[in-house]
Amino acid sequence: MLGRERIAITGLGVVSALGSSSEQTFQRACAGERGFVPVDLFDTSGLRSSLAGQVLGLDVAAIAPRGEAADWSRSDALALLAAREALTAARAPATEPLGLVLGGTTGGMYETERALAALPAGSIEPRDARRLLDFPLSVSVERVARVLGSVVHSATVCSACSSGAVALALGASWLLSGRMGRVLAGGVDGLCQLTFTGFSALGAMDAEPCRPFDVSRAGLTLGEGAGCLVLELESSARQRGAEIIGFLSGWALGSEAHHITHPEPSGARASTLITDALRSAGLAPSDIDYVNAHGTGTVQNDAMEALALQRALGPDASRIWVSSSKAQIGHTLGAAGAIEAALSVLSIQRGALLPTVGLVEPAAPSLRHVRAPNQKSALRAALSCSFGFGGACAVLAFEAPDAEKRVLPAPQRGSVVVSGAASYGPLGLLTGAASARYLEADTFAEAELDPLTLLDAERSRRFGRASACLVATAEGALQSAAVTPAGTGLVVGSAFGDVTRSVQFLQKLFDRGPKFASPAEFPQLVASTGSGNASLYLGLTGPCLTVSEFATSGENAVSVALALLELDPASACLAGAVEARDAIVAAVLGGGPRRRSEGGGFVVLEDEGVARARGATPLARLLTHFALRGEFDAGLSRLGAPLAESLLITTPLPVEVEAALARSAWSGVPRRDVSSKIGFHEAIGATALACAVAQIAAEKCRLALVVTSDRGLLYLSLLGAPEEAS
Amino acid sequence: MDQTELKSQIKRAILEELDLRGKSEADIDDSAPLFGAGLGLDSLDALQLAMAIEERFGVAVPEGEPARAVFASVNAIAAHIEQAKAG
Repeated sequence: MLGRERIAITGLGVVSALGSSSEQTFQRACAGERGFVPVDLFDTSGLRSSLAGQVLGLDVAAIAPRGEAADWSRSDALALLAAREALTAARAPATEPLGLVLGGTTGGMYETERALAALPAGSIEPRDARRLLDFPLSVSVERVARVLGSVVHSATVCSACSSGAVALALGASWLLSGRMGRVLAGGVDGLCQLTFTGFSALGAMDAEPCRPFDVSRAGLTLGEGAGCLVLELESSARQRGAEIIGFLSGWALGSEAHHITHPEPSGARASTLITDALRSAGLAPSDIDYVNAHGTGTVQNDAMEALALQRALGPDASRIWVSSSKAQIGHTLGAAGAIEAALSVLSIQRGALLPTVGLVEPAAPSLRHVRAPNQKSALRAALSCSFGFGGACAVLAFEAPDAEKRVLPAPQRGSVVVSGAASYGPLGLLTGAASARYLEADTFAEAELDPLTLLDAERSRRFGRASACLVATAEGALQSAAVTPAGTGLVVGSAFGDVTRSVQFLQKLFDRGPKFASPAEFPQLVASTGSGNASLYLGLTGPCLTVSEFATSGENAVSVALALLELDPASACLAGAVEARDAIVAAVLGGGPRRRSEGGGFVVLEDEGVARARGATPLARLLTHFALRGEFDAGLSRLGAPLAESLLITTPLPVEVEAALARSAWSGVPRRDVSSKIGFHEAIGATALACAVAQIAAEKCRLALVVTSDRGLLYLSLLGAPEEAS
Repeated sequence: MDQTELKSQIKRAILEELDLRGKSEADIDDSAPLFGAGLGLDSLDALQLAMAIEERFGVAVPEGEPARAVFASVNAIAAHIEQAKAG
């Protein structure tokens, strides 16, 4: 066995409360400084704490391109600063194609809040509401990509507080699959009232600066920032003579499926993932010298994490240094996994230990906490742990640049089959081969469906309409695949999140102050709520993520699910999107010629060998799935010629894509436009995919090409009959 | 407000604030424990209920361990509200 290549880190960048560069942040962190100040971005009266790791002096207008200052969020600016520092350090040719993947949870929520606060009280006029949709999670990636100019493949991921770490693992997958030669991966989150109020309402915020792992710890202190790493295969980094700062050696992603806010107290799932990350890196606990813990400072996280570390690391747990950086930079949520990865890499490279500031009396004295600042110690390898809302966990392993080469486990993914499908729309939930009825019928009654009736009342009691539609559809696809939820992953595409519900939460906050901010509501308003709820409801313990890319979010979810299959071919992965009716989104986007509706679809993707081995009968084969920006003719010609029994399934396409289609070999193929039947929503591409799978399963065609497009991106998905050769 | 009406209002608060769809006031026993076995509620529900009681009845619920006694049952919540209002 040759094994896989190592992932080299050739550049990194950090912006945090401790500094505007990785060097400044690292030096001050090693020295034991805290970056906490009273937040001056918004009113913190009535909250449990006014302290946070705010990035002071962040001049968004000076960072944004000329003329765009009003549209850039703090998160966009933070992301660009960290991205530029990382790319400059990597000394990579600026013109070479770059992959960009960022994790985050809040996007431009701070700017959305300012826009909302400026509106007159009462009902929101459509022209005012537009501003509330200007800052979805995906815009940071879009803006950074536009400024860098060389980004050809991108994704925005949210798995709550493990988002940044998940982005790094996805970046590694793009390199290993050969999709990209260089990836900029990281995480970003700016402070905002939604998260500040939410964590305060949950009683998870310490009134004092946080004290991770201390017996007296009483919650977290929030922070903001960004971290980016440049990842390359070792061979290409060496070939161009790049300096290798360290290696991203291994990773493990998964979910607890336990509770929307509480970690599973025994740490069993987290412990398994720590072991999995070690195995992925070809390392044993005896090889590890340091753990950068999630260490939020909440009573529950730190207790769970100490147990998980002890269980996974065994006797080595008392030898391995452990610390949390959150007592100095705060909990930067979606950025945390990436910033802490960067700090771990620097800690190994310099042999400099990062302390846990504020730790006086350890609650788990058997762990070897770093307490004094400015200590030196040779470090060979480190783990960085991230655990988020809804039990979304990620563990990364890093090694020194001089680490010896060894054979690394190289999971081989075979061809990908679709073993389950479901679609949701005006007819309700349709599964398997029946999912294509949305293509066939001519008219649909405007039925008033309540998606909650499809779900168990007790287990779905906190779900909003968005989660209900989504979880019911994911459940339909899962059942149609007859695959076990244990180990199965999920990637949900979401264009805007639950906009109206978030606005209601914020309006109540503005009207009545934080005293009556609902603690149970807050976890339902984060970007990863849908994937978290699906993981909990369905018992999915694989990686469960939300991705965001406007009206191609569902198609992007399929891309990201394929990347997850690349990392772990043994597990199935659900992918898709469902958009529920939303008053504000409808007010802003509903005015056009297209009728707005709600719905979407999910498919279950699996390695063919794994699916056959468990006795599954695939519905279809996913022959290819990719996105392009421009060069539509070249993309279409990559597909080859259609067969006699082929079908083209589309959503509304821009003229340039129509023109490219007309010039392609697919021009004469029978075509169905999904939205001409059921109206338009941002998950219509996911409906189209589920319909294509169902048409093949029902033997209505042998080959189906799904063509969707939004904001200059073209997605092409070619599906064939299961017996069709790939 | 008499005790029956107060308890009915508490039950409505529980049903609405904790999204107990498909359950009615009749499903909640005045003296049965609300957390743990009872209605299957957890500590996130306790936080929500504490906020809701203060919002709806103008009575604060203490945090942490003392909240346990207050949330023991509908009867206990009613007693806490009456006591706070009388005091």
